[in-house]
Amino acid sequence: MRLTALATLVSAALATLTAPAQAAWKSYISHPLGFAFAAPGDLKVEKGSYRGDVAGPHDAIVYRFVDDNIEYKAVVIDMTDKANDAATLLGEAAYIFQDGKKLLMDTYGRVDRQFGRKLTVDLPNNAGRATAAFYFINGRIVSLQATVLPASGDYDSAEPGRFIDSISFFTVRAPDDAIELPAPPK
Amino acid sequence: MRRWMSAAVAGAVLAITAMPAQAAWKSYINKELGFSFMAPGEVKAGVGNFRGAIAGPRQTILYRSVEDNIEYRVTVISYPQAQAEGATLLGERQYMFQDKRNVLTDTFTRVGSGKDTVYGRKIVVDLPDNKGRATGVFYFTKGRLIFLEATIPASGNLASPDPGRFIDSIAFVPSRMEPDAVEIETPKLE
Repeated sequence: MRLTALATLVSAALATLTAPAQAAWKSYISHPLGFAFAAPGDLKVEKGSYRGDVAGPHDAIVYRFVDDNIEYKAVVIDMTDKANDAATLLGEAAYIFQDGKKLLMDTYGRVDRQFGRKLTVDLPNNAGRATAAFYFINGRIVSLQATVLPASGDYDSAEPGRFIDSISFFTVRAPDDAIELPAPPK
Repeated sequence: MRRWMSAAVAGAVLAITAMPAQAAWKSYINKELGFSFMAPGEVKAGVGNFRGAIAGPRQTILYRSVEDNIEYRVTVISYPQAQAEGATLLGERQYMFQDKRNVLTDTFTRVGSGKDTVYGRKIVVDLPDNKGRATGVFYFTKGRLIFLEATIPASGNLASPDPGRFIDSIAFVPSRMEPDAVEIETPKLE
């Protein structure tokens, strides 16, 4: 009996040690941009770009994390100059995300009185599976995108869904210890 | 041989006269509201009401016709002060259309091209309690929520291509509108 218990304990310890290290999830908030979310791994802030036929060329702020071979990105595109075209700009962004890809899911996103879209696609050339949510709020497209990379191979992972669904636009709903997102580099 | 031909002609005539009479499709345009569409039957203008949790209560402009047991409706709701909220107002209307219904398709739709493209969604649902099938297309452009709906009762031909023809006829750019389109009035809202 003692031997069995010891063997179980050792097995459990070994299983824990051999499992891939997963970073803790932290909450992030941007008061100027008016949204919050949770993500694992280390935060990197990058400048990106976005272009659509209707939107034209626009700079983007990208908050990026990588953990356990899943890439997480929160992308903010300032569309203040075309905010009156909000519905079409959001539709265009969601359309571009899935264009030319195998669409697995395309459904409504509803968060804090905002309606958006949630999509999952398989990337071309077996480059992984991407899940994204798109919203248009306060003159900005706010998109959370999680890509399960081929190195992970766990395309049914629950983590992209956890990331996508963590978005909040009522900043009072963010945890008290949420980390304020930095401004992008100049 | 002659007898054969006579019989064939008579059969064709009988078949045509026995078919339900279908009205011609006409193009309609409202230059003030900036859109055009095609529909069969007599299109009548009216005023209706809409309420959404986010949109709140609104009066609507309604164009309606019924032909061959299919109801065609074009609804326009103005939000001149809330254009920047257009994405959520559009999303709410789309969500309401399919809520608690069996969704058959829900896809992207685009009208126009290039920088003039207007993005929306096209949704087909089966109505509850076996009441038929509804096809809707939804856009928000220039401060107006515009949606076209075609409803076939359960007793109708659910596979009819006419709802698709109606839905796909919408145009927002004048150059894409039919030149001989019938101008339709804009009913006055209270």
